[in-house]
Amino acid sequence: MKSSTLLFRSLAILILIAGSAHLVSYASINSESPKSNRKEDTNNTPVSETENSKTSTTSEIENKESINYSTDYIIGKWEVAYTSKDFKGVVIYNLKKEKGIFNAYTYQYENESGDIEQAKKSKVLIIEKFDGYKGAGKYLIDYEGKQYDVKCNIDMINENTFKLSYDYYGYSDVETWKKL
Amino acid sequence: MIEFLSKKLNWFEVEYWFYILNDLSLVYIILPFFVLELIRYAYLKRLTKNLILDSIANIITFGAFFVIEIILGLLAITKVYFWVYNNLSLPHLELNWITIITCVLLADLAYYWEHRMMHRIGIGWATHTVHHSSPHFNMSVAYRFGPLDAILPIIFSLPIVLLGYDPILVLLSEIFVQVFQTLLHTEIIGKLTKPVEYIFNTPSHHRVHHGSNKQYWDKNYAGIFIIWDRLLGTFEPEVEKVKYGISEPLHSNNPIKVFFHGLTRLYDKIKKTSGFKNKILVFVKPPGWEPK
Ligand SMILES: [Zn+2]
Ligand SMILES: [Zn+2]
Repeated sequence: MKSSTLLFRSLAILILIAGSAHLVSYASINSESPKSNRKEDTNNTPVSETENSKTSTTSEIENKESINYSTDYIIGKWEVAYTSKDFKGVVIYNLKKEKGIFNAYTYQYENESGDIEQAKKSKVLIIEKFDGYKGAGKYLIDYEGKQYDVKCNIDMINENTFKLSYDYYGYSDVETWKKL
Repeated sequence: MIEFLSKKLNWFEVEYWFYILNDLSLVYIILPFFVLELIRYAYLKRLTKNLILDSIANIITFGAFFVIEIILGLLAITKVYFWVYNNLSLPHLELNWITIITCVLLADLAYYWEHRMMHRIGIGWATHTVHHSSPHFNMSVAYRFGPLDAILPIIFSLPIVLLGYDPILVLLSEIFVQVFQTLLHTEIIGKLTKPVEYIFNTPSHHRVHHGSNKQYWDKNYAGIFIIWDRLLGTFEPEVEKVKYGISEPLHSNNPIKVFFHGLTRLYDKIKKTSGFKNKILVFVKPPGWEPK
């Protein structure tokens, strides 16, 4: 068989296989419309107030946590932009390591017109498993006054960006978290 | 169907299934099968000292290969793969069934080409000849590796990362291809049904690949799918009884000799070849190449 035929056939196979994967991946991202109602609670008092007071004491233990360089780079402040009809603006979260688990708390809100408001520290995300690269855990969503624990996945795009995705009985969304 | 195939999957579940298919298969299929092969050898009065020493040498070469693979793998995967994935690759693919299936397909195609190159390039054959140098054919032969066997796969799987596939998923898919390949190293299984033999690489097809009979040279490079050989002109069915081994037999079960014989043969050939340009050509030309 001629080298040119070999090259042509191999490339055709390659494009066919990888192309179909990208097509499906692209289609599935687009079907997840950005209809996030997640910020419903931005001005309401979080349900888990009592839990918050508990967790604030645990943050003192933080310093004693053993350091793991392959995962601990995610500790710090992260911002997420929302464009839902309930809240348009930016929320800053504070991600901490507590007893070997990563937890994120609301830290600050900034609405469309640039008004900044310190947030009540409430837990929104628990990353139960994280290998420095992919993770899984619970996203705590407040919706119409009720709190829901929704399983979520975390995908590091690079060390300053990750995608948080969840699917709760057909209600799915992907958020992009950016490191500050 | 499409909905099922495009449904997002949890990474840890995927990793877990690969662990069961890749890592644990040694315990629940490969080892029991090898024991079965040993029993068959004993029954056929072929359980010779040579065969046992050959098997031991196979396992030792795997140990040496594994150490090299770990060192190289750690460097390549953590540094090069991730750098390419984060800086040069197409948009990252979601983790779903389509992504996994196509990743395995691409890993299998990459295996075909890297395997073909190992046979058709001097330096490639210097390492891959180790795998082919056993005069026997059983599961333990699958573990017979040469010192540089880990290098070509790294180069050939990089394009898959470039296409937007997660480096760890690519690595797990490559191991899956290897595990499938391992299961083909047996004389116990004859030919399977026509459709299976048409699509998949089977023990029969891989016996041909290990044949030293002239018509079987450089044929059936496939990992999982024999389709690549059919499409790319290297398919040969098993007809004549296969004589296993290489054209210039090794006649040794010394693991060190087995592991390095390809490199020492290449070194000798370079020493004998005159002219600097010709010496370089020995590395890249097919193993049988001689300067005019
Ligand atoms: Zn081969
Ligand atoms: Zn083989």
